[in-house]
Amino acid sequence: MQKRVVFRSRLLPYLLVLPQIAITLIFFFWPAYQALESSFFIEDAFGFSRQWVAMQNYVELFQDPSYLRSFKTTLIFGVSVAVMAMSISLGLAVAANRVVKAATGYRTMLIWPYAVAPALAGVIWYFLMNPSLGIVAYWLKNVGVDWNHYLNGDQALLLVIVAAAWKQVSYNFLFFLAGLQSIPKSLIEAAAIDRAGPVRRFWTIVFPLLTPTTFFLLVVNLVYAFFDTFALVHATTEGGPVDATSILVFRVYNTGFIGQDYGSSAAQSVILMGLVIMMTFVQFRFVERKVQY
Amino acid sequence: MATLSIKSLGKVYPGGVTAVSDVNVDIADGEFIVLVGPSGCGKSTILRMIAGLEGITSGDLQIDDRRVNDLEPGERDIAMVFQNYALYPHMSVRGNMEYGLKNEGLPKAQIAERIAEAARTLRLEEFLDRKPANLSGGQRQRVAMGRAIVRDPKVFLFDEPLSNLDAKLRTQLRAELKALHKRLGATFVYVTHDQVEAMSLADRIIIMSNGKVEQIGTPMDLYLRPASRFVADFIGSPSMNVLDGTVSSDRRSLQLNGSHQIDFGTELPTAAGNQIAIGIRPEHLHQNTAGETRIELSVGFIEQLGADTVVHGTIAGSQSPLAVRLNGVQARDSGDSIALSCGRDQIHLFDGTTGQRLNWDNQ
Amino acid sequence: MVENRPFLTFLTHAVLIIGVLFLCFPVWMALVASTHGPEALSSSPIPLWFGDRAWENYSQLLVGGLPEAGGVPIGSMMFNSLIMALVITFGKIAISIISAYAIVYFQFPFRMGFFWMIFITLMLPVEVRILPTFDVVVKMGMLNTYAGLTVPLIASATATFLFRQFFLTIPDELVEAARIDRAGPLRFFWDILLPLSRTNIAALFIILFIYGWNQYLWPLLITTDESLYTVVMGIQRMVNSGESLPVWHYIMGTAVLAMIPPVIVVVAMQKLFVKGLVESEK
Repeated sequence: MQKRVVFRSRLLPYLLVLPQIAITLIFFFWPAYQALESSFFIEDAFGFSRQWVAMQNYVELFQDPSYLRSFKTTLIFGVSVAVMAMSISLGLAVAANRVVKAATGYRTMLIWPYAVAPALAGVIWYFLMNPSLGIVAYWLKNVGVDWNHYLNGDQALLLVIVAAAWKQVSYNFLFFLAGLQSIPKSLIEAAAIDRAGPVRRFWTIVFPLLTPTTFFLLVVNLVYAFFDTFALVHATTEGGPVDATSILVFRVYNTGFIGQDYGSSAAQSVILMGLVIMMTFVQFRFVERKVQY
Repeated sequence: MATLSIKSLGKVYPGGVTAVSDVNVDIADGEFIVLVGPSGCGKSTILRMIAGLEGITSGDLQIDDRRVNDLEPGERDIAMVFQNYALYPHMSVRGNMEYGLKNEGLPKAQIAERIAEAARTLRLEEFLDRKPANLSGGQRQRVAMGRAIVRDPKVFLFDEPLSNLDAKLRTQLRAELKALHKRLGATFVYVTHDQVEAMSLADRIIIMSNGKVEQIGTPMDLYLRPASRFVADFIGSPSMNVLDGTVSSDRRSLQLNGSHQIDFGTELPTAAGNQIAIGIRPEHLHQNTAGETRIELSVGFIEQLGADTVVHGTIAGSQSPLAVRLNGVQARDSGDSIALSCGRDQIHLFDGTTGQRLNWDNQ
Repeated sequence: MVENRPFLTFLTHAVLIIGVLFLCFPVWMALVASTHGPEALSSSPIPLWFGDRAWENYSQLLVGGLPEAGGVPIGSMMFNSLIMALVITFGKIAISIISAYAIVYFQFPFRMGFFWMIFITLMLPVEVRILPTFDVVVKMGMLNTYAGLTVPLIASATATFLFRQFFLTIPDELVEAARIDRAGPLRFFWDILLPLSRTNIAALFIILFIYGWNQYLWPLLITTDESLYTVVMGIQRMVNSGESLPVWHYIMGTAVLAMIPPVIVVVAMQKLFVKGLVESEK
């Protein structure tokens, strides 16, 4: 993890890491510690006084049915986004990997949505599905589906799932394609000689060899759905109707900034931190990618 | 141009591994010194200590009578050529060669002059504006040498510079290197694991094993009077035949492990019953009975090399392996036996336990 | 491919075309909607082809300013986005490359400690420390400033790891040769390491530019002053504008404008982008 020959300098290395470490301490470690600390206090709305309440904020959270519902919503949301975005992109990657002609053209057309902000993806789908003038809602009405995400919570959740998955397809597509391209062609040819047809080859050779990529993407997609989609929800449904799309990150923000309940918001932050730490751990422990120490 | 003096040089790595211990050598101005030995013997560590890339644990290093132990590599007035060339990939050939001179603050005109001269010497003129990626292996190695030459250093250091090249190119560059040394008249310290390279290039060879110097001497010293069994085995191809045995009670013959006995016709310089080893180079065994010591070889297999033939087998009546190099094309079948003899002055004796050379009166 | 089956080839193209349609259609509709007036968008079904108000709508958006968006022209929001994206991108690259350099090429006390501190930031996204981070920014007086918008986002574990990984692949002999050529640590960094990192820097630039441009939560917290709004964040004001009905032709125009710069970057530098993305996640 280091060079055989290193430079001898007493001060220079510290100067070099200083900016990064300073920002890390001031804007990452200190606030994280603050969140941890204030999750054990109840503070009045003006910040004048606070009172040590030990685990009370946490206890209240887990007794609050709407918080528990948020947990469930987040889980449904995350899993749906991951499954939807990953299966679409796997299909596209497999197809793109077969194509010889126009491969670059297809790839270009498939990767650009990576650049679209989640908030914009949300807003555009919000428009497409708008009950009174959205074109998709109109088509749905023609086939007998009465779409109104302003009133129907399930439909609102579906809306944000579709928008979030739509934006993530490009990212997954690129990784699946890279994974497919790294499978040695000789393996596929050997399987063909062993009389495995294309479908059988995919499920017995290609898909198992893609497992590391799939697992890596699963974790990345869940992290994306749990955290990066705040913008998507905030710019569109704002958690509604009646909390139907109120995922955990949105709730942290809402409780803290709108509801001004610092203690509860901090406790929620700490729970989320635990979630990220767990997922990062899983990613590094079981997916042998990234750094070696 | 300079002398290089190494006094009780030692290197211990953090963690306690001793890489090099107690190396002493005085290198004369203009000398071509080759450090040779198997991998891990400490030869590269010595070179890197001379370069300043590796700290010195004990002992002194002097270039031109100035102690340089604590100087930075750039301050020692040395130049180094690396095995993998270590050319800066983003700089042109010219850029690579002038980088050190620029850092030194040399005037532009002088830099240009030195590069022109080095490029001429190394036939690199037409490549000066190319990037290393667009050069062949041999050309890259020449650029690496050019980078060293332009610095006009006191000492040139070479770390296995020819190892990454194919055999033919290696021979060619070896000759060029020898010519270059003659022209520059500079002090060269050269590390290699290839004994042929060492023999053909060196004024003196330092042969090492396990962090210790086994012998320092001219190539012919090492070939004719190897100081230890290790040196005897390392220098020469095919390797010297080394046979272990016990000195007989009259001290005139050696009882080989097995039952065979070799007679010398004279007393061995060691006590009866001692374990010793004798060494005979394959090329010193002849197909006649003129020599004092006679051995019969039972043929195992042969290697036809054209100019000569190497016959491998065992000493008849024993399991001791023996190889002999015979002139010209020789046809032999497995199981044949060949009567061989060897002059006594071409038999080397080594102590059975320490492996050190034993001298006897005829040498 | 292994064998030639016309049906499979047909299926392959069909899948890809459907995929392309699925990804492109929403943005197509946004483009179309942004060229119509409010009348065309007031009743269903809305038109599927362009209208004639493109010029009017976009010029109004870019320079005129909308009451729904706080009266700030989208042009000025885009300028803010650009500043934010560029400062974050260059800031992240700069501080990451020098910290990776220190960690790989120097031996000093707490080296691994610093490495782990940077690593742990991966586990602390803004979203989980919203309020206290906001408090820190308030205390430092950085609310409604460009510094507040950018500096707290500049730490980057991903970029640091990428550079570290790259430095480890550079042969040791290169730094040794440089030392013999009298290059000190700073000169080695500047003359050798930085030029060799060009491709990595460029690839990282694309990913970080998109990251910076697409920031939402952070500008939402840090800016209350409309003149500092960024375009990705600003659009939500128009969508959820309270009493009045959303002005969809403007909203879609804004969405199109907001996605143009990052999409151009991705498409124009596709090769670098793919390399950078796949490698930075390894």
